[in-house]
Amino acid sequence: MTLAPQQGRALIVVGALASVFTALAFRLFDLHVLQHKELSALAQANREQVVHRQGRRGSILDVNGNLLADSLSVRIVTADATITAPQASAIAEKLAPLLGTDVDSLTRKLSGQSRYIRLNPRVKLDEDAVQKIRAMKLKGIYFEDQFVRSYPNGPLASHVIGFVDAEHRGVQGIEASMEDYLQGQAGYEVIERDRKGREIRALRTEDLGPQDGLNVVLTVDQVIQHIAEQELERAMEQFKPQSGAIIVSRPKTGEILAMSSRPTFDPTEMDASSADARRNRCVSDVAEPGSTFKIVVCSGALNEGIVTLGDQFDCENGAFMYAGRVLHDAHPFGVLSVEEILFHSSNIGAAKVGLRMGPARLYEYVRRYGFGHKTDIALPGEVSGIAHPLARWNSLSITRIPMGHEIAVTPLQMLMALNTIANKGVRMKPMIVKSIVSEDGVTVLQYQPRSVGPVISAHTSELMTTALRKVVGPEGTAPKAAVQGFDVAGKTGTAQKVENGQYVRKYYSSFIGYFPASNPEISILVSLDDPVGGAYYGGSVAGPVFRAVAEKVAEYLGMVPQTPPTEVTKVS
Amino acid sequence: MKRNRKREPLRFGTVTKSLFVCVCVAISGLGYVWQKNAIYRLGDEIKKREALLSSAQKRNLMLAAQLAHLESPAELETKCQGYNLSLVAPKESQVVRLYEPGPEWDVQMANAPLPARIPAQQQVRLQVRNPQPRAIAQ
Repeated sequence: MTLAPQQGRALIVVGALASVFTALAFRLFDLHVLQHKELSALAQANREQVVHRQGRRGSILDVNGNLLADSLSVRIVTADATITAPQASAIAEKLAPLLGTDVDSLTRKLSGQSRYIRLNPRVKLDEDAVQKIRAMKLKGIYFEDQFVRSYPNGPLASHVIGFVDAEHRGVQGIEASMEDYLQGQAGYEVIERDRKGREIRALRTEDLGPQDGLNVVLTVDQVIQHIAEQELERAMEQFKPQSGAIIVSRPKTGEILAMSSRPTFDPTEMDASSADARRNRCVSDVAEPGSTFKIVVCSGALNEGIVTLGDQFDCENGAFMYAGRVLHDAHPFGVLSVEEILFHSSNIGAAKVGLRMGPARLYEYVRRYGFGHKTDIALPGEVSGIAHPLARWNSLSITRIPMGHEIAVTPLQMLMALNTIANKGVRMKPMIVKSIVSEDGVTVLQYQPRSVGPVISAHTSELMTTALRKVVGPEGTAPKAAVQGFDVAGKTGTAQKVENGQYVRKYYSSFIGYFPASNPEISILVSLDDPVGGAYYGGSVAGPVFRAVAEKVAEYLGMVPQTPPTEVTKVS
Repeated sequence: MKRNRKREPLRFGTVTKSLFVCVCVAISGLGYVWQKNAIYRLGDEIKKREALLSSAQKRNLMLAAQLAHLESPAELETKCQGYNLSLVAPKESQVVRLYEPGPEWDVQMANAPLPARIPAQQQVRLQVRNPQPRAIAQ
């Protein structure tokens, strides 16, 4: 059978078509069945994108809920230098004024090799600037949202608050110690984008939102902190010491209301500060406390019943030979009672009380007051100070330690020791974090004042208060620390400094006190390291600073004066 | 055969059923498309709202930081000096403490020391309508 020519041609066409469709069918089978797994994964990967969302770091608040540190979301401009390089100078000229940077450095950045450069890591762009940059439609320039840490009060309480690093992790202060609570949890979304790169919201398959960090509420009051900072700044200008510190606390609870030290730094301008300025001297620096330490030996001896306030000691007219060395008083004294030893601050008297007490008992009270141990305040960088064990004491130690030499303490340790006397002999743990709260105000964790234990009896504490009241009296070493309307109990300290193993004519001046003495509400420590300009006694250098802080704090807290005001003003 | 089919009358039931099936398929198709559209439209709405919420939250944070800065003691002090307001804290002698009924205040005022004697010509007579504290409901 022969086919007609038309039929032959038809068969060829059919055959060709069948071949094509067979090939197509095979290709479809190959794509949809044989390579299904790989290709569907590839398609999904092209469509879908996992976007990570950073959780906001929690805020740090003062005791009244005022913001001390916060995280703000800002727009960061980024660049892909491999794209911007050919037109780097032209782009830099357009962007530099908006980013607040110079054209040359920006040109250098944009002409590099990096595919990801942050152009304004520290500059907060406002929305207008963002719109202007967007309108320029520059190739290789992108925007990114990022959190930056903000400190609305600038350098206020910077040593307490601390700061964060470039990765938004706490490095110092509360930022570091409360890192676990402050840091937020990152979330992620699995999204699909359209051909213009916009997200198709309906196709979002997974959406795990980020969790913001918790807020940390401090015991610090920003107004009291400001008062302390202001007065410390004034003292730094007047006496020009190498460093200074002020701590304000509540003796009954151990709450720290203010903690300030100089030199200081501004956490918003970290590049401008030195490592030395960033150190919180209230917890990280130790010094021989000097006469403020006499409260330890006298309270210990009173508590043990070894002496009474009226017991008298011969103060040798200012020169006492012991173990081959002469111990001096600042002023020569004859016979003084224990009470007088405290308010005249006699070194010889304190040494003789120490001798009567004996090394073992003196050392026991040194440890009971917490010297040589960290106070465990929630601040990093705290040191334990130096309180040598008995085995390392020499023959002179028993006369030197009672006057605050051969021992090194932090300002916080010294204040906590005074707080023990103010708090009826019970030592409290210092407290700087009050609570942890969530963003919606729910309290997650509430810190309570914690007692370390009794050190001296309530009766001894009363006796000590009686003696310490006279320190600010006309006969005492710190009449300039007296606060009008309030009964103040305190102690001065003037310690000679050691340089290259020798005592030199440089001093560590301090004053610690609490008021009202009968029912202590506030205790304050003021210390100035090496004041210059003639005055160096604790009573005349740190005493007036104590008074200035105490008066303002009492006024701010609305404390009712115990004695009526002497000046009468007509109020209409 | 063709002729025979032409002669057969249309069956109403069959036509109705066919139409019904067609309409159902059409409605299902249209409904599916409409619902898909609605989902996408809602997705877009949600996206817009999310962007709005995020922007409002950012603005809120920024304003909170600004407020904190404006309320900071240092800033307030600078403003007071800048506006030359001559604001100073009142002296203790300029403060009049008023009696407020309540057990805590009773104790506090009972223990408080007597105020300084004010010279007769400077005295301001205060008339208290009800000097006795009210009993507190138990």
